[in-house]
Amino acid sequence: MKKIGFSILLLSLMLTGCQTSKPTLKVFSWGAYIDNTVIEKFENDYDCVVIYDMFESNESMYTKLLSGEKYDVLVPSDYMVQRLIDEDALQALDYTKLTNASGIINGLLNREFDPTNTYSIPYFWGNVGLIYNTTIVDQTDLSQGWNILRDTTYKGQVYVYDSERDVFMVALKALGYSTNTTNMSQINKAYDWLEVLDKTMDPVYSTDDVIDNMIQGNKAIAMVYSGDATYITAENPDMAYYVPLQGTNFWVDSMVISRDAKEVDLAHEWINTMLDPEVAKLNSVFVGYSSPIQTVFDDLKETDFYGLSAYTPRLDYPNDEVFKYNEDIKRIISDLWVKVKAN
Amino acid sequence: MRVFGNLVKPYMVWMSLFIVIPMLLIVLYAFTTHGNSVMAFQFTFDNFGKFFDPVFIKVMLKSIQVALITTGVCIVIGYPIAYVIANVDERWQTLLMLLVTIPMWINMLVRTYAWISILSDSGLINTFLKSINIGPLKMMYTDFAVILGMVYNFLPFMILSIYTSLAKMDKAVINASYDLGANTRQTFMKITLPLSMPGVISGVTLVFLPAVSTFIIPKFLGGGQYMLIGNLIENQFITVGEWNFGSAISLIMAIIIMLSMYMTRKIDKDIVQEAQGGNKW
Repeated sequence: MKKIGFSILLLSLMLTGCQTSKPTLKVFSWGAYIDNTVIEKFENDYDCVVIYDMFESNESMYTKLLSGEKYDVLVPSDYMVQRLIDEDALQALDYTKLTNASGIINGLLNREFDPTNTYSIPYFWGNVGLIYNTTIVDQTDLSQGWNILRDTTYKGQVYVYDSERDVFMVALKALGYSTNTTNMSQINKAYDWLEVLDKTMDPVYSTDDVIDNMIQGNKAIAMVYSGDATYITAENPDMAYYVPLQGTNFWVDSMVISRDAKEVDLAHEWINTMLDPEVAKLNSVFVGYSSPIQTVFDDLKETDFYGLSAYTPRLDYPNDEVFKYNEDIKRIISDLWVKVKAN
Repeated sequence: MRVFGNLVKPYMVWMSLFIVIPMLLIVLYAFTTHGNSVMAFQFTFDNFGKFFDPVFIKVMLKSIQVALITTGVCIVIGYPIAYVIANVDERWQTLLMLLVTIPMWINMLVRTYAWISILSDSGLINTFLKSINIGPLKMMYTDFAVILGMVYNFLPFMILSIYTSLAKMDKAVINASYDLGANTRQTFMKITLPLSMPGVISGVTLVFLPAVSTFIIPKFLGGGQYMLIGNLIENQFITVGEWNFGSAISLIMAIIIMLSMYMTRKIDKDIVQEAQGGNKW
């Protein structure tokens, strides 16, 4: 027994010995959203440890926060920033520490979800559109806009992004409504639109696996985020990106600091580093999403991503909308989307 | 004896911390309304009422159906394998059992991902078929892919438990059967099979339970449109944020599982009693 007790003591000593006195920064961001060398460099430059966790949707990030997990820096999308502000979960950014903030594209700032950018600052931005195989899809069919997803010529050839927000956005836009509608009869019509798609098109509801699948050319049409489209079109020249004129969702994924962050100064350093043109360029080249830094954006659209329309999402197109957070509507469309999938 | 009695205590603490309390929380969530703070519960049956929608009942029936098929396939494949392993030379048995369990050393997620690259339209199988001019077979996102994934993941449980019951069987009984003039077929049907039933039954439990509640296999191999009860629960917790409804579904699931456990144990008892009491020779 004594021996066991001793081993346990020794083991616990060893474990505590591993803990360093270095400050630890906890970052929670999207999967495949950063060039990993940037993390290493930051750890060396600031003599700290970065714990970089990843999520696959704003909702799963929120659930993890709800379960008591604490992070310093988060990268939610616009409507989730709004929700976190409403719930008093964020702290105001100290702009005197964010010297690189001046380089941000003007059109991305002062958006409705955080009108004066008190809490959030852009990380990547873009929209939602269709990636299609130019050797299979007839160009004239594209004029149908989102309705091409229900064109039975392409039955069994369609990937739809498995996220209730995005599918309802598509259905509502196809019907000519606002994505932020609170009108129940419009929402029900959108539900019917999706039911028809589900019944007649034999679609596959995918998430990030759509990227590899479209690079391999497994299907003809897919609904994707512009940043993923940049990557896909760069890898497979048969693929092209198209954003329907009916309008789409325009989004800004933003960096925020949580209210109960432990390393507030380090969190500001992190955000400032991400806004540094050199780092921003590394990240943008690595993941394919559009950089919010004007100089980097202008540079990359003429060089690495030359001719790829997905890298330059349209800004301020009247039919495009940013999501607004609405608890009741969110619950209704979540239920409806489960019904579409389960039926 | 008292000393040994004390050894149970850490286990009791463990049980109550990690099994009883979470279960109680699920029950609590299942019977309360959304969004109330811990201090002010509002009891309700709405979460259960919501489940009795034809759409959700269909999801549940589909899950049970898929799990039953998986279990059936596992018995059909697993029994002969276990039988062969139990009857080869003892030196080989250890090695063969090792081979059965080796896949389980690797994380289930990784192994399921591997199936994607085997089954996908431009995957291993279809690339091969293409080279001999057979059109691409659509395998991903079908019942076939999901059941294949489940059988692949859960088969070792079936083999292990059947093998255990076959290996510990008293060979003298089988020899006695031959001595009394029974042929191989009769001996297998009347002696080996009934005596190995406890192994089959526990194999059924070990395969059916994970198969009926898994969400990662249908999600990967079936796509987002392939919705089983596990996906529904995951969806309610992670995406929708309706922990109360999610808990209610989990609770309904738990009840169904407990009922099926009770039934299998009952069948188990009956069969063993019959096998042991049926010495008609």
